[in-house]
Amino acid sequence: MLEQQLINALTLGSVYALFALGFTLVFGVLEVINLSHGAVFMVGAYAAMTAVTRFHAPLGVGILAALLVSGLLGLTIDALILRRLRARKAPHLIPMIATLGVTTMVTSAAQGLFGVEVQRFPEAMLPTGEFVFGEVHLRTLELGIVAVAFLLMALLFGVMRYTRQGRALRAIAESPKAAALLGINVEGLFMLTSFSAAALGGVAGVLIGLDFNAVTPMMGAPILHKGIAVVILGGMGDIRGALFGGLFLGFAEVLSKAYLSSQMGDAVAFGLLFLILLVRPVGLFGRVLERKA
Amino acid sequence: MAAFADFWATYSTLVYSVGIHALLALSLWLTLSCGLLSLANAAFMGIGAYTAALLTLQLHWPFPAALLGGAVVPAVVALIIGAPTLRLSGVYLAMATLAFGEVTRILILNLQITGGPEGLNGIPLLTTGWHIVIILAVAGYGLARIRRSRLGRAFEAIREDEVAARLMGIDIEGHKLAAFTLGAVLAGVAGALNAHFTFFISPREYGFENAVDILTMTILGGTTSLIGPVLGASILTLLPELLRFLHAYRLAVNGLILVVVVLFLPTGLWDARRFRQLLKNRRARKGGQP
Amino acid sequence: MNRVSKHFSLALAGLLAVTAVAGDLKIGVAEALTGGAAQYGVPIRNGFQLAADEINAKGGVNGNKLVLVIEDEQGKKEEAINVFKKLIFQDKVLMIFGPTLSNSMFAAGPVANAAKVVAFGTSNTANGITEVGPYVFRNSVMESDVLPVTVSTAVKHYKIKKVAVIYGNDDAFTKSGYDVFKKVLEDQKIPVTTTETYVKGDVDFKAQLTKIKASNPDAIICSGLAEEAANIIVQARGLGLKVPFIGGNGFNSPKMFEVSKTAGEGTFVGSPWANTNPNAANQHFVAAYKAKYSTEPNQFAAQAYDAMTIAAAALKTVKITGNLPADRQAIQEALPKVSITGATGPFKFRQAAPKDGKPSGYDADQKPFIYVIRDGKFVLFTGK
Repeated sequence: MLEQQLINALTLGSVYALFALGFTLVFGVLEVINLSHGAVFMVGAYAAMTAVTRFHAPLGVGILAALLVSGLLGLTIDALILRRLRARKAPHLIPMIATLGVTTMVTSAAQGLFGVEVQRFPEAMLPTGEFVFGEVHLRTLELGIVAVAFLLMALLFGVMRYTRQGRALRAIAESPKAAALLGINVEGLFMLTSFSAAALGGVAGVLIGLDFNAVTPMMGAPILHKGIAVVILGGMGDIRGALFGGLFLGFAEVLSKAYLSSQMGDAVAFGLLFLILLVRPVGLFGRVLERKA
Repeated sequence: MAAFADFWATYSTLVYSVGIHALLALSLWLTLSCGLLSLANAAFMGIGAYTAALLTLQLHWPFPAALLGGAVVPAVVALIIGAPTLRLSGVYLAMATLAFGEVTRILILNLQITGGPEGLNGIPLLTTGWHIVIILAVAGYGLARIRRSRLGRAFEAIREDEVAARLMGIDIEGHKLAAFTLGAVLAGVAGALNAHFTFFISPREYGFENAVDILTMTILGGTTSLIGPVLGASILTLLPELLRFLHAYRLAVNGLILVVVVLFLPTGLWDARRFRQLLKNRRARKGGQP
Repeated sequence: MNRVSKHFSLALAGLLAVTAVAGDLKIGVAEALTGGAAQYGVPIRNGFQLAADEINAKGGVNGNKLVLVIEDEQGKKEEAINVFKKLIFQDKVLMIFGPTLSNSMFAAGPVANAAKVVAFGTSNTANGITEVGPYVFRNSVMESDVLPVTVSTAVKHYKIKKVAVIYGNDDAFTKSGYDVFKKVLEDQKIPVTTTETYVKGDVDFKAQLTKIKASNPDAIICSGLAEEAANIIVQARGLGLKVPFIGGNGFNSPKMFEVSKTAGEGTFVGSPWANTNPNAANQHFVAAYKAKYSTEPNQFAAQAYDAMTIAAAALKTVKITGNLPADRQAIQEALPKVSITGATGPFKFRQAAPKDGKPSGYDADQKPFIYVIRDGKFVLFTGK
């Protein structure tokens, strides 16, 4: 049983990590806790669902639709709301509260537009096939999610470290004023970050919507809670933190359900979060939140 | 007279809810006035509610005693978790209190004594309008007094600049703990009162969404004075009732309000300074006319 | 029905409630139309609407039209109380249907009971609902009537020696279902290999299912709602767990097949309703519902539809005098005597045992049908 549980933990952890990637990106660059990430996640899933069911597009197009629609939503949120708050140099809590409001609006709109019933992708669309190693079973889709999570992390990490844009972003993260003085297009990069992070969230929405085959307007909320835990565990703003935090949370949840009791899964997750905050608030990979200039 | 009786029969619960929400918003205001963003007040409300309900249901204590229990137990919990948690600040504190809230909710969900997911049922109807009015008045008066006292000024100093406050000799940890615990007491009493006019409580009512609701009310009203939270609580409790015709979209209005207020009225709806400024501008304009 | 016309018709219903003619029968409907419970509340509302429209098209009850005053209680208990109060004291309805969740009924039921107005729940299955008082009615069959039959039928068919159990422990409905299952298993002397839980909204059950697989049961008993149940079954199959499932009331939904047509093969479910039940009233209901709402009905819609039929039958025997308290009382007295054959089959009421010497309300007295999933459909199990 242990081997299967370890695989279960790996797949669940990757799901969490995938969601957390976009979330932590916004925090790292914009220093905003974007609580609307759950909403863009949900919107991505619906975008793909609509493409596939209403327009009879293949799944690949659906994923692309999710990427674009969510990305645009993220960009809009940035342009209309986050940008103004940046100009005003509002303290961190204010954008957080504003994005909460956005979440309520978007979730409500989705409920009005799509109804509240759980919607599912047509069975024919789902990648089938599974791998069996002895007693251990793993669906192709789950393996796909694990692969995508690791790939994206590696990709983002590489971009941040080795490309010009990445270096510019890290400069902004250190000090936006200094970056601007160096001629970096700070606002432009902020907007690009918002778009990309939201796009990532949208793709996560499709993949996770497919994996569990359940799309509802409310699907963003529980994963947002877990996402917050992941980002704190792994360190806010660090991409490696999102992956390792996600895996850590996945393992903690699965193993406590397996060996303690299935009731304890969530309690352990949040209890751990609480303890880590007391002991090492910055998380596994985080830096202290001090902007120099 | 019959019309009023009908109106009251229909809307009494709503009016009571306004009072309870006002109390909760004030409890959050208190912690904010010390610079602490605590999302734990919904959990403290739950602890107070369950304590009081169990005292009346199982031990048949009289109502005032149960209310006292609903105030004391959250205070004890706040003191215990406050000491380590309050070393965190800003966002990290918010997250830690959120985590605490979730753990509390899950514990309540899984314990036998709290009835698990089925909650506690058949709680006697002991709350009357007078209870709420008196407690709200006492709380309001108490908070107003604190504001003008040394304690209140210490809170303000801590909120504005913690380093300077420490240099001035203010006991940061003690004051933060005081604000946190007092906030927990208010929230706990609100929960106890609420339990005794809704017959029935369950873990679902004290979670993250409820903490967010309270935060919204406080921010909406404004944190510069005590009127703000009460105003915010009143508006957000009554508005859904008035907007019934919007059906699914009425929750969207809550979100919209939050965004609009944050963007355009950062100090909330009720800001005495802004009113004075407006009045001054108007007088200046009138005076400047030839 | 597209969104615009739906909003329009809701507004119209509201308008009608205000401008109702003297002979109209105003009935309150308090269901969760938004929020987490809306997936049940909306089909319930649809079921009521369908039945009321059909009755009105045939001339109403004794020539009077049924007018539904529909309010959204959002699946929150404070809202349920507010809505009940509004319907009773402001809209002055004759009786109220709803609310959706058992939790809400526990809060709002006493309000109706104290005001001597019938509160008729169609989806409240928790224990103790009707003990609130004699004005509380429900036609949702209790799990304690259904599950013993389901379990014994499945045990016999599959020659089951031991089972594993999994249930949702944060919902009054699924938890009550589990309590009933537990007692049934004790009564029928079937050992349990392991008991696992999950919470509402969970989508990943592999940890629990892996534990279940390791404990080697002959079957898995699941007390859950259709959304989670469908995923549980699919994930179980994905882990190589091939034993059959035995489900409670929540399984009874076409949603079980949206996820996979084949994974649920051989599952046993007991229920008062299935869309394939061939009785004439049901076939008519299913066809009419599909025509009006462009989607398959589920058990919640069916029970609401029947509830409206039951209420109309009671109203038929009552003389509406215009004296509101007297009329409301007359309804409370007429309802227990009703017996119909509806979409859920033959139905009558049964008064619950008194609590602390006080009279209780009325539960459903219906025999469950046992269904088994074959070829992606619920098929009536006839012993083969």
